[in-house]
Amino acid sequence: MNLFFLSILIIASGGILALIFWRQFTLMKAIGVFGISAGCLLGLIDALSKLFNPGQYSFSVNYLNTLSLSFKIDGLSAFFLVAIFAVSLLSAIYSFHYMDKPEKALRTAVNYLFFSLLIASMALVVTAENMIAFMFSWEIMSLSSFFLVIYDHQSPENRKAGYLYFVFSHVGAMFILAAFGVMYGYTGSFGFTAALPESAKILVFILSFIGFGSKAGVFPFHVWLPHAHPAAPSHISAVMSGVMIKTGIYGIVRMYWVLDLHTPLFGEIVLIAGMVSGILGVVYALGQHDLKRLLAYHSVENIGIILIGIGIGMIGVSFNNPIMAALGFSGGLLHVLNHSIFKSLLFMGAGVVIRKTGTRSIDALGGLLKNMKITGVTFLIGSLAISGLPPFNGFVSEFLVYLGGFQGVAMDKTPFVLSLLAIVSLAVIGGLALACFTKVMGVVFQGEPRTPAAEDVNEKGPAMLVPMLVLAGACVVIGVFPRAFVLMALKGVESLGLASGSVSLAPFVQITGNITLAVAIFFAVFLLILVLRWVLYRGKTVGRSGTWGCGFTQPTVKMQYTGSSYAASILAFFKPVAPLHEDHPAIRGRFPNKTHYHSHVDDIAELHMGTVIVRPILWLFDQLRWIQHGDIHLYIGYILLAIVVLLFFI
Amino acid sequence: MTKSILLWGLAIILAPFFSAVILKVKAFFGGRKGSPLLINYYTLIKLFKKGSVYSTSTTFLFKLGPMVSLCAAVTVLMFLPIAGQPPVLSFNGDIIFILYLLGLGRFFTIAAAMDTASPFEGMGAAREAYFPIICEATMFMILILFYILTGKLQLAAYFSGGHPLGLWQAAGSPLLFVVISFFIILLTENSRVPVDDPATHLELTMIHEVMVLDHSGPDLGFIEMGSFCKLFFYSTIVASLIFPFELGHPALNMGVFFVVLLLVYVAVGVMESVMARYRMDRVPKFVLTSFALAFFATLITLEFVK
Repeated sequence: MNLFFLSILIIASGGILALIFWRQFTLMKAIGVFGISAGCLLGLIDALSKLFNPGQYSFSVNYLNTLSLSFKIDGLSAFFLVAIFAVSLLSAIYSFHYMDKPEKALRTAVNYLFFSLLIASMALVVTAENMIAFMFSWEIMSLSSFFLVIYDHQSPENRKAGYLYFVFSHVGAMFILAAFGVMYGYTGSFGFTAALPESAKILVFILSFIGFGSKAGVFPFHVWLPHAHPAAPSHISAVMSGVMIKTGIYGIVRMYWVLDLHTPLFGEIVLIAGMVSGILGVVYALGQHDLKRLLAYHSVENIGIILIGIGIGMIGVSFNNPIMAALGFSGGLLHVLNHSIFKSLLFMGAGVVIRKTGTRSIDALGGLLKNMKITGVTFLIGSLAISGLPPFNGFVSEFLVYLGGFQGVAMDKTPFVLSLLAIVSLAVIGGLALACFTKVMGVVFQGEPRTPAAEDVNEKGPAMLVPMLVLAGACVVIGVFPRAFVLMALKGVESLGLASGSVSLAPFVQITGNITLAVAIFFAVFLLILVLRWVLYRGKTVGRSGTWGCGFTQPTVKMQYTGSSYAASILAFFKPVAPLHEDHPAIRGRFPNKTHYHSHVDDIAELHMGTVIVRPILWLFDQLRWIQHGDIHLYIGYILLAIVVLLFFI
Repeated sequence: MTKSILLWGLAIILAPFFSAVILKVKAFFGGRKGSPLLINYYTLIKLFKKGSVYSTSTTFLFKLGPMVSLCAAVTVLMFLPIAGQPPVLSFNGDIIFILYLLGLGRFFTIAAAMDTASPFEGMGAAREAYFPIICEATMFMILILFYILTGKLQLAAYFSGGHPLGLWQAAGSPLLFVVISFFIILLTENSRVPVDDPATHLELTMIHEVMVLDHSGPDLGFIEMGSFCKLFFYSTIVASLIFPFELGHPALNMGVFFVVLLLVYVAVGVMESVMARYRMDRVPKFVLTSFALAFFATLITLEFVK
């Protein structure tokens, strides 16, 4: 455990030292980046060694002589630690060239401080072993990320995003606290124990699922996510979307393990939530015009895929199908790692684009691939990976989840129907994600620049490019040689003791071997075609000219298909859940006036949140306003009354 | 194994021939003599002999598109059991890999189209991204049915070995739905009438043809070859469902199989001759029919056949 705490200490001191040296801008950044990345590297090595050498790694301290804070690293914690430290390490390096405004030196220094606190608290969340330690770390995590979100607090939009995030994370924390309260009420201990009656367990699981789900971005608790991610600086979005929301997933899996109740209800709740988040997340993503908002909705989608995997695993556990359980859980966990890799890669790529062009609007960009080769190619790899295509990492985890789902097809009644729905939704999610990322690639990186903002861009800043190259490399390596990584996920599952006790590793090794073989053959065929192409083009005349306009001789860049037009017909299919609003005055008369087109897609959760939740609560509190009258004497009376009432009860 | 590799090679070589059958059928219905059955080979040779002109808007993705889509289609054929013979490659879950590999090919075809900055190609790309979503849902629905019938997730287990799936088996009646449903997918995925029209180049109505407007020379040849292979893949599955290859002698099986396969291609040709293309907004409903059929087939199997 010492190495683990040492790494957290180094990370935190990196942040604190950065704040002390804020007047020297470059020095401050160098210290911050060095401290954070050195600590993350140490933590990463430590977490990997603990993942492959499972044992009892625990530590506990008595805080203020009353509360005991204890921490423990098991396989599940170590697995999440690997993702947290790996992504944070690369994001820290990325930030060195991304944070390039010397006039905002103090703010940048504060950013490094909270960044380091966020990493440290995430690491503590996944290792906390009792409720006090968990809530402590959870709150530090929520607050530090709140301060990171409002980095650009001048813009009212960002302040609103920060406020929304603040409310959501604290309402979520309240639900978790309520769940812990119910547990404490039965057990009388702050430790995570399962000495509860069954009905209390179900209540605890549902409460904590809402709480953790709001952090993870499960539909309909995801409303903060598409606001907070665009507001935060890109390396923060990468960490928040890549790993911070996964602490919600960790919480759900951990609570499932703690409660140790194998009712199919839990699996059904998780699976249905996963399917809804998955499909709606990607549908809303298709309708976005803001690059970072689009990526944020894809986080909702991928959280959905992860939950589908975990839900299948839970159903496998409750119906005594260890293979299904192992496939579902390992697929879900591997997708946690995979998503943290490709999503942080995509956010970093989006960050470079936004930094160099100054706009987040997809339809204002175009043709960036020509000047931003590294960003474009790594973004392409990220897009292929998130669409779940072979030979990239997203495919491997989705493959495992599919195999788990097909195990459920052999059952009857409810698990059959749910598995069927899970498989079909995964297929639909895959197709929609492909549509969405061909849109992003095609509109942002390909074609011709739509506005001057996208012309003459460059991609200077090696500290931004190297992490993206590393992440893109990881996408390919996991996609081609998934063996070690699937085993890693299985190690994480093993510590849950749910299923792997009776499942041998051989079939999993075989699955990964099959993927490697198939991909190798694919590459071999590709090489053959490459040679064939080279032979066919040898000595031929190859000319260049404009794109064929089908007879039209005056094409302009404005005629290109935009992101909105690309997505329009798919969105029309999903009209009931994704109402599309268009503002387009019709062109009339011989000398028509200037016209415009504007469209946006409503998120039904956001749309109804106001009327269904916020307004009734406001009404209720309005009715209670007479308590708050401003008379200080009566307030003192309230306090006295409260103390007297409490004296009777305690 | 050698036999499987030979069959794989044969499939690639024969794919253009079978596609020409469709043209011949259409010519027959139109009262014309039609182009020779070897027309696709002539076209390919002609294209391979040419050079290319690239749009100034394009990047390396434009050249990568034809290669990846051809590569995906050729690799997919390796998993395909032909005439009941075992395929070159086969493993548990290979069918999922196949579907996602075809998805990879589609991603790059779309990327190559978007690379040209042409609004027509963007239009085609948007449709190419849309319709296959429904097809994939249907495909997985069919896979669920196949999994219920065989307990396997392997193309080779469905169409080769001792107990292949087929219309003449105990579970044959629901498979009739599957054949129709799969035929709809075949038409959609391979851009045939009534979803798309491969014959005209009127850009506004097209999906696949319009996406390859700017490709020329060997690149266009690769794309054509890729679509021949893809059509061969889907047609073989339909043919395998109709005909279960249990004639006793491999050579006899093989001969009858190719006749059945030819009939599938003729059916596509007849379809194209007697039907008009649907309006674009009607296409999703047409494709959704395939999902409904596959779903009913699954329900019937669960209730009655098992």
